[in-house]
Amino acid sequence: MTVEGGVQYSKIAEIKGPLVVVDDVENAAFDELVEIETTEGERRLGKVLEVGNGKAIVQVFEGTTGLSISGTKAKFVGKVMEMPVSKEVLGRVFDGLGRPKDGLPDPIADKFVDINGEPMNPEQREYPKDFIQTGVSVIDGLMTLVRGQKLPIFSGSGMSHNLLAAQIARQASVVGTQDDFAVVFAAIGVQYSEAEYFRRSLEESGALKRSVLFLNTADDPAIERIITPRVALTVAEYLAFDLGMHVLVVITDMTNYAEALREISAAREEVPGRKGYPGYLYTDLSTLYERAGKLNGRKGSVTQVPILSMPSDDITHPIPDLTGYITEGQIVVGRDLFRQGVYPPINILMSLSRLMKDGIGEGSTREDHSEVSNQVYDAYSRAQEVRALAGIVGKAGLTEIDLKYLELGDTFEKEFLTQATDENRTIEETLGLMWKIVSKLPRNEITKIKDKYVEQYYKEE
Amino acid sequence: MDKFQPLANSSLEQTIDKILSQTEKEIESNISSALSDSQKTLNDALPNLEREYDKIIADGKKEADKIEKQITGGADIEARNKQLLALEESVDKVFKSALDQIVNADRSDDYANLIKSLLEESTKILGTSEIIVFTNSKDKDIVQSSLSGFPGSELSSETIECLGGVKIKSKDGAMTFDNTLDARIERLKPLIRKDIAAKFGVNN
Repeated sequence: MTVEGGVQYSKIAEIKGPLVVVDDVENAAFDELVEIETTEGERRLGKVLEVGNGKAIVQVFEGTTGLSISGTKAKFVGKVMEMPVSKEVLGRVFDGLGRPKDGLPDPIADKFVDINGEPMNPEQREYPKDFIQTGVSVIDGLMTLVRGQKLPIFSGSGMSHNLLAAQIARQASVVGTQDDFAVVFAAIGVQYSEAEYFRRSLEESGALKRSVLFLNTADDPAIERIITPRVALTVAEYLAFDLGMHVLVVITDMTNYAEALREISAAREEVPGRKGYPGYLYTDLSTLYERAGKLNGRKGSVTQVPILSMPSDDITHPIPDLTGYITEGQIVVGRDLFRQGVYPPINILMSLSRLMKDGIGEGSTREDHSEVSNQVYDAYSRAQEVRALAGIVGKAGLTEIDLKYLELGDTFEKEFLTQATDENRTIEETLGLMWKIVSKLPRNEITKIKDKYVEQYYKEE
Repeated sequence: MDKFQPLANSSLEQTIDKILSQTEKEIESNISSALSDSQKTLNDALPNLEREYDKIIADGKKEADKIEKQITGGADIEARNKQLLALEESVDKVFKSALDQIVNADRSDDYANLIKSLLEESTKILGTSEIIVFTNSKDKDIVQSSLSGFPGSELSSETIECLGGVKIKSKDGAMTFDNTLDARIERLKPLIRKDIAAKFGVNN
């Protein structure tokens, strides 16, 4: 870091893609914030990627379009990029770099925080085990989200993941506690109409006052996308660990983030990894995902729901593949269900919340939750097998019990999975619906639930 | 023919009576059955009705809560935004007044010392005293007299628009450091805003 910062250099050696190489630079530091001034006096922000041999490579967030070697100046500010944070950020809308986008002034900062965050001491981490109600039955019932978890949504191009993201942001709450709850929403490279939908959706539902929005639209420079999740997580960490709030961070779409990373990597002429993404994609993604969690002795928590669209619906693509290594489960949006018009089209057989078992049951949701969930999974899986069989032998070739499973599969999709975008179901309603599904089966088919719960909740149809 | 007349009448009456009686019984039985059926239907419908009633009430309550959240949420945000704008306006007024005071401040000995320290700081940061110094027309003489302590430095004949202070450039033109009062205020503005806001009772 420069001693004081603020030195402006005017020797630009090269401009390459989103990068500017500045010559004769002394004392610049890795990640240092840089102000680029164009010949017209326009100012753009960037950060130092590499320093050495009197040169500094600067990544310009707002792109290098219109910059020329002569006349462009680079001012090394002497500090890393910081986000001003205070309670006042709640209810505000910012752009992808954390600048106000709602026509209001900069928030009066309580403090300025490095957007790269401080790593959580693993020893200080507390195991996540408290339930978050999203109001979406399939998530609450079968892949429950817990406070401090990172649970990604794997979707595909054109599917309804953004509707789901907005619904979760509007409805999410912690049940049975008076603790404050907040939502930090980061939209990366989304269309203008989608950004507007997110903003309006939170505003009209009254949820904006407990939310912070960071909107990087598709026409914003791709490089800004590197910063957007970081500023969002910085605010989330402040709200969680300084103000003691439970914060849900929804980030959509992480694929756009990875694309931006690839663009910079290509411009830096780094050796490409799988599908051209940099070899450090895993490490880079982990610096974002690992910012979720709870800390011993601190009241708040940061829960992450990153959303990524899988190119060609390919779950083995590097982005979902590497994400899956870091996160604690996944929610998979299914193309077939989407085509059938089911919302939310979540393929439960490919989805899983690894921390669910610790966040449900007596004292959190209800004592029978785990078992009824297992039974529903089992029954729907069997229903899928029967559907495949019916496709070959026809309905006439099915046994009576097969037909029951077939009916159960339809009821599951029509009554449990299908939900209106503004329908906020309580966990009791969700569990009631799960018992309704299970009650489609004869009692002797219920093998995963203790008798005492069957006697209490089972109502054979 | 006449002697058979009463017999025929009596038989007909009996048949009519019989039919009437049977019909009456049937009607009574039907009424009774319909009554019990309707009673049963009514009894069966009651729990459904109660469930439906409870559902309507619960849905209505949910909808009311949703609308309440929308209205209070919107109002809270609107009020907060107005407060923010009012605060910003006040902070700007304080800034403007402070800048006016700086512009009109006496260029006394203290100010000459300030210029010296700004020059020292700037040369240290650039790592050279082979510099060209820029300032505004008002401060030219003070800056010129301060430059004696910085061999290799020279004052530019060109003046710049600023409140005070200096802007220095290395003689090879590669490096510039803006140490004008404007630039220093700009660098510290977020912190100054916080202090001013605290004076208005806004503490984050």
